[in-house]
Formats: sequence, structure tokens, C-alpha cells
Amino acid sequence: MSEIFALLIFPSGLFLLGLGMAYEWVDRKLLARFQNRIGPRWFQPLADNIKLLAKEEVVPDGVNRLLFIGLPVVALAGALTAALYVPAFGLPPAYSFPGDLIVTIYLLSLMTLCIGLAGANTISRFSLIGATRTLTQLFSYEAPFMLTMLGPAIVARTWQIGAINEFAGAGNWLLLTQPIGFIVALIGLMGKLEMPPFDAPEAETEIVAGALTEYSGRGLALFHLGKGVELVVGVTLIGAFYLGGIANPLEFLIKTGALMLFIVGVQALMARMRIEQTVGLWWRYGSLLVLAQLLLLLIWETIV
Amino acid sequence: MTQPVEKKGDRFIIPIGPQHPALKEPGHFEFTVDGEMVTDATVRLGYVHRGIEKGVESRNYVQNLYMLERICGICSHTHAMVYAMGVEKLAGVEAPPRAQAIRLIVAELERIHSHMLWLGVAAHEAGFDTLFMYSWRDRETVMDLLEALSGNRVNYSANLLGGVKFDITPDQVKDILEGMAFLEERNRHYLEVVMNDMLLLGRIRGVGTMSKADAERLGAIGPTGRASGVARDVRLDAPYGAYRTFKPVLMLAETGDLEGRFNVRLREIMDSIRLIREAVTALPEGELTTRMPRRIKEGETVSRVEAPRGEAFYFIRSNGSEMPDRIKVRTPTIFNMATVLTLARGHQLADMPMILVGIDPCFSCNDRMVSLKRQGEEAAGGDAVAGPVMTWNEFRKAVMR
Amino acid sequence: MMNTEELLAAAGALLEPWTVEKTTPEEGRVDIVVEADHLIEAVTALVNAKWGYLSALTGLDLGPEAGRMEALYHFCHYAAVLTLRVRLGRETPVLPTVCGVIPSTSFFERELSEMFGITVEGTPNTDHLFLPDNWPTDTYPLRKDFDASALRAQDENRG
Repeated sequence: MSEIFALLIFPSGLFLLGLGMAYEWVDRKLLARFQNRIGPRWFQPLADNIKLLAKEEVVPDGVNRLLFIGLPVVALAGALTAALYVPAFGLPPAYSFPGDLIVTIYLLSLMTLCIGLAGANTISRFSLIGATRTLTQLFSYEAPFMLTMLGPAIVARTWQIGAINEFAGAGNWLLLTQPIGFIVALIGLMGKLEMPPFDAPEAETEIVAGALTEYSGRGLALFHLGKGVELVVGVTLIGAFYLGGIANPLEFLIKTGALMLFIVGVQALMARMRIEQTVGLWWRYGSLLVLAQLLLLLIWETIV
Repeated sequence: MTQPVEKKGDRFIIPIGPQHPALKEPGHFEFTVDGEMVTDATVRLGYVHRGIEKGVESRNYVQNLYMLERICGICSHTHAMVYAMGVEKLAGVEAPPRAQAIRLIVAELERIHSHMLWLGVAAHEAGFDTLFMYSWRDRETVMDLLEALSGNRVNYSANLLGGVKFDITPDQVKDILEGMAFLEERNRHYLEVVMNDMLLLGRIRGVGTMSKADAERLGAIGPTGRASGVARDVRLDAPYGAYRTFKPVLMLAETGDLEGRFNVRLREIMDSIRLIREAVTALPEGELTTRMPRRIKEGETVSRVEAPRGEAFYFIRSNGSEMPDRIKVRTPTIFNMATVLTLARGHQLADMPMILVGIDPCFSCNDRMVSLKRQGEEAAGGDAVAGPVMTWNEFRKAVMR
Repeated sequence: MMNTEELLAAAGALLEPWTVEKTTPEEGRVDIVVEADHLIEAVTALVNAKWGYLSALTGLDLGPEAGRMEALYHFCHYAAVLTLRVRLGRETPVLPTVCGVIPSTSFFERELSEMFGITVEGTPNTDHLFLPDNWPTDTYPLRKDFDASALRAQDENRG
């Protein structure tokens, strides 16, 4: 019974959906304030999602119906499952086993994969180009992002998120010892969530809404909710690994809040990168720097 | 709406328009792409065609002033001014010096307004929404000044045949100077941002490069041409009105890419600010209007003005009656449109909105010409179009009366 | 730099061989009538001498009584404006294209042919530029005898 409660209501499930929407609001509101706009009211994401869920879902011609309806569900389910293994809201992870870090990273990628497939499934030109870009981007940031998760795991000598969190909580601020990893992880998260300047896959002035152009109603709502959840899971992971662990709700709010401020600041400051610029940035700088840092870590670990 | 993949042979065509987030006005572009690379481009215009060129033939000269002002919402003053100057030339009268100076001030305010609008749109196309929001916020200063002067934010109706409608009071001069000081500071900042922001430079430097030879061959004019080193500016080449007294500075860039176009337009804003300052402090005294005959002498004339986007060219033919025989309107966008189609090839799809916006296209200016109008029947003309909500049939009835 | 009068004189000399009639309608302008057959030579001469740029192409319908149409090629060079005027019959107006010399004329020629029904021989693209694709053939809106009522009746029937 308690498992079902954990899965559906708290800390995963409904609670996390709400948290995801709250963080989406923080993102939108802060960005608006940085851009000299007023921004949405606190319940705007909720209202958006209720409206979308209530609307008719148009299934366009020429798509595989099963995939078209199934992909958003899988994407959201993946994000929600990933949340079970992280200390969301400062509570210990609902489930934990050695090696759950790897599972979480894969579950987080599921979302992007689903968006790419959803775009490729339709026959709209904008969706197809969007899907190509989404998947291209996936291949560029995925490896560096994974490496940044590896760094803390190596120094903590465990593959268990909860254990790494405890290790970091014992006064180990990895932000100071692995600054490159921290920066790349944050930027990687932005790439995952297709936030500016990495929003080429959904650049509205070129390809309308990218891979999700044909989505309306329920499917779009589920993708949006999934992105919100992924944002929470992402900032929680980075906060737990690099900012000295997340042990209680207050710490969670402060640390993830600080990360949000950083993320939104980057969004406000930058112009959109072209897809080949994004790929170039990740492979030329992101991956190399993280690899170099990882190499140093490994050497250090063997010596000490 | 589903837009199925359209394959002609092996070509994959991406449509931009008539309705597309990148376009603020309707136009239809088709880009043939190979992966992300654009290999061909075509354009289809006419979605905002209102038939103004035919319409003017059955309205009198005064009515036409207001009709032509509505060709474009951004450079409305330019159209009214070039028309008024042409008719004055035909009638053999000249507007008084004070009126000419006021025309210059409004024209330059309009140039600032247009260029800042462009800056915002261009930044938005590059995904730099912060610059977009900021430049449009600051643009409000200029809109407020124009509203204080004329009562309107767009379509200022500053011109009359033979003069201008309103005066500029000493209080307004003070407001204008204050506004200019603010805008100068802001635009200096934007110039710095545009020239130094690495990511934005990554999107504009070396993109859409047009050599001077190409620019001349394709007929690029206005800031688009000047960014490629084509030294043409009607305000200097053929000074008209108060530009004989207050000389603008020719802004040129040699690079010919989008960076050059940003550079030229931003520096032109700075120069407009200088011109406005000079003009408001040295405003000649005197009348605002002069007497105009109701019937215009038979004849043909050419009137040219530097609009914010380049040279606006009017050919006016009078047959001696109250109505013109023919007015030809040639706006700058049609010239620059040809450059887009050529520049598109070999660039990435991601650069298309930027290249398109780089010429500052104005589809309303471009599409004007024919109206379906029963001969001899008078109508309200352009005003009816401005009504807030109309069904398609109502709209057609209103414009096609 | 030459002043406007000198520029116009230079253009006049340049076009001397093809000039049918030359007038000076107002200050800073000269109006030269050429035959349609000589248009390309005249334009080529101007382009080769780098005399300004083609600023506009104006169609002019002098009405059914006069039975004549004109095409006006306006060249601007600093403050000087030169107009090459080609006189055409109203029944079968035909012009040669100048796209071979000035590629950017394509748009202007498309506009001219759809608005006035002037056939521009050899122009690369004859599609409608501004008018809808389903615009009736042989209906040229900028001609003086254009009657919109028939079109409107057709429109109203369609709803």
C-alpha cells in the first residue's frame, strides 16, 4: 500500500507534478522579470495544463496512432519513475538500490527520446526537422552530462544516489573540487530541457514548435508535465551531488532555488545557438573539459 | 493543421508563411532544404494587397494623403511626406521652412521607431528575447513622443498638402530632448551588446554576406545596401525639404553580413538622434501651411524620400483634375526581397528567419496596388480596414466597396 | 562629382542613338522616349556607363480613347532622374525583358504584366506576384477600363 502511495501521490506522482509546475512557474516568472516583463501568475502552469487536458486531442493524418498517444505517457512515466530514486523535496529517495544512478540517467533520457520519436512519427515538416534536431542535440549533450554524474560517483565510491547525497552532505561541496563538472551538468540539464540558448529543436521562429508541432490537448499537456518533472529531478540531482547534499525540504528549496536563478540567468542572457553550434560546443569544449577533469579525478583517486 | 511532407523529386520543402511565427506579416516563402542546408528559395507575395494604387485614381488629392499614409503602419509618415512633396512640386508651391523642419523631425523619430522595432524583431529571430523585450520597451519612448506631438502612435497624419498639421511647442522640444538623451544612452548600450555578445555574433557574423558587387547587381538599397558598402542615401544624394539644412551622416559597413546590418541601423539611430536635436533647437519660425490649389496642374513628377528601409519612390501623374491620373508607389522592400532569395542558398535553415528579417521586410508596403472599386463611387477607403473584429466577408465587403 | 545637370547631359549623350523624343519635364529630370526594340540597347548603355540604378518601372495606361500604354523605366543617379519612356499599343503591348542586364527587374516585370497585361518577352518568371492565383485571365486591374463589378458579382456568388 505504501508503495502505491509513494508512486502515485507522494513523493512521486501527484506531488511531483505539482512541484514540476511550481518550478516551471519559477522559471517563467524569473525569466519574465529579467526581461522586464510582468510574467505569469502562480497558477498559470496549472491553468495551462488543466486547459490542455480538457481539450480535444487532434490526431493528425498519417501517424501511428498507438505511438502518437503512447509516447507522451511513456515520457511522463519515465520522468516520474526517475524521481523515485532522487531525494526530491529533501526527503530520502523512495526507492534505492546500488546502481540506481545509471537507471535514473537513462530514465531522464527517455523523455528526449520520446519527443524525438513523437516528431518523427508525424508527417509534418516542422516536426521532422524538430525531431532531427532533438535527437542530434541528445547525442551531443548526453555523454558530457553522464560524465558529470560520474565524477561525484567516483569520489563517493558508490553508484547509489542516496549514498552520494549522504557523502556530499558530510561537508563535501563538490562544486569546489569539480567546478567544471558542475557547470557542464547545469548546462547539460538546460540542453536536455531545450531551454535557450539550446532551444534550436523548438525554435519557434524557424520550425514553429519543433517535434511537438502536431501535438495538442492531452499529449502536449503530458509532455509539458514531464518536462516540469524532469526539471525538478535534474536540479535535485545537481543540488544533491554538487551543492553539499540535500537533507531536508528547506535545503532543497534553497539549493534548487539558487540553481534555478542560475539557469534562468543564462537563458535571459543568451541568443539561440544553431544546432551545429550546439553540437560543436558540447563536443569541442564540454566533453573534453569533463573528460580532463575525470582523468584528474581518477589519477587522484588512485594516488590517495 | 497537418502539413504533409511535400516531395517534388528528391526535394524537401519547408514552407515559411503565410502564417508563421517568424513572420509578423503574411508572406509565403518556400525553402528547399537538404538536411539543414537551404538549396533553393521562392517567394509569393500579395497577401496584404489592398489595391491602393487603383484606389487613389478615384479619390481626390486630399483623400489620397490619408489613404497613402495607410500603406504602411511603420513608415506611414514617409509615404505621406513623399506624396505631399510630389503634389507640392506639381502644384508649384513649397511648404514653409518650419513645416519642412517638422516633417524632418517626425521622419527621423519614425526612423528611430522603425529601427528599434527592427532590432527587437531581429533579436527575437535569433532567439535573444531579452534584447527584444528591452528594445521594444525603449521604443515606447519614441512612440510616446510621437503621440504627444500628433495624438497618434502610428499614422501620425503630420502632413497636409502644403505644410504640416501641428506645431512643436517649446515644452514639447524639452520632452523630445529628454527622450533623445535617454534613447542615446540606451542605443549606445545596445550597440555595445550587439558588437560584443559572443553568442549573438555567432548568429550574425558572416551570415547572409552580400558583397558590394552583389548588392549592386541585386539592387539592394537602404540600410541593407549600406551594410554592403553601397553608398546610397536619398537624404544625401538628392536632399529634399529640411535635409538641405540638416545633413545626415552616411552610415556604411563593409562586411555585408547581418552584423553589418545591425551596425548600420544602430548607428543610424544615433545619427537620427543627432539630427532631431539639431532640428528642434534650430526650428525656423514661420507659418505651418501654405495655400494649395484644389486642382493640380497637368504634369508628371517623381518624388523620392529615404524611408527607414531605403528609398521610397513615387511617380505622380496629374491630368489637371481633382484626382490624380496615376500614382506609382515603389517601396524599398521589393528591391531587397530579391536579395533574400539569392542569399538563402547555401545557408542553414536556422539562418533563414535572420536573413529574411535582415532586410527589414515590410509586406504591407510591398503589397498595395489594386482595389476592386466601382467607378465613380466614393468610399471610406483604408479606414474601414482598421475595425477591430470583422468576419472575412465583412472585411472583403469593406475593402472592396 | 558632376552636378545634376551634367549627369543628365551625360545620360542624354549616352542615349543619343536611340532617342526618339527628349523632354525636360522639371528640374533634375529628363524624359527620353525610345522604341521598344531599342530598349535593351539603351538600358545596357546606361548600365555599362554605371549611370545610376533602375529605381522603378511604372506602367501607364492612357485610356481607351488614346489607345496607348506606356512603360516608364526610372533611373536614379544622385539627384538626377532619367525616365526611359516606351510607347506601346493598347491592343497587343509587348516589351522585351531587361532582366538580362538588370536581374532585379524580374519583380517589376511580373507586376507590370499582371497589372497592365503587357507581355514581357523573355522574363524569367511570369507567375502572379501580387494577384491571387485564381485571378481571371485577361483582366488587368490597373488599366483604365477595368471594371470591378463583374469580379465582385463572381465573388458574392461564391460567398
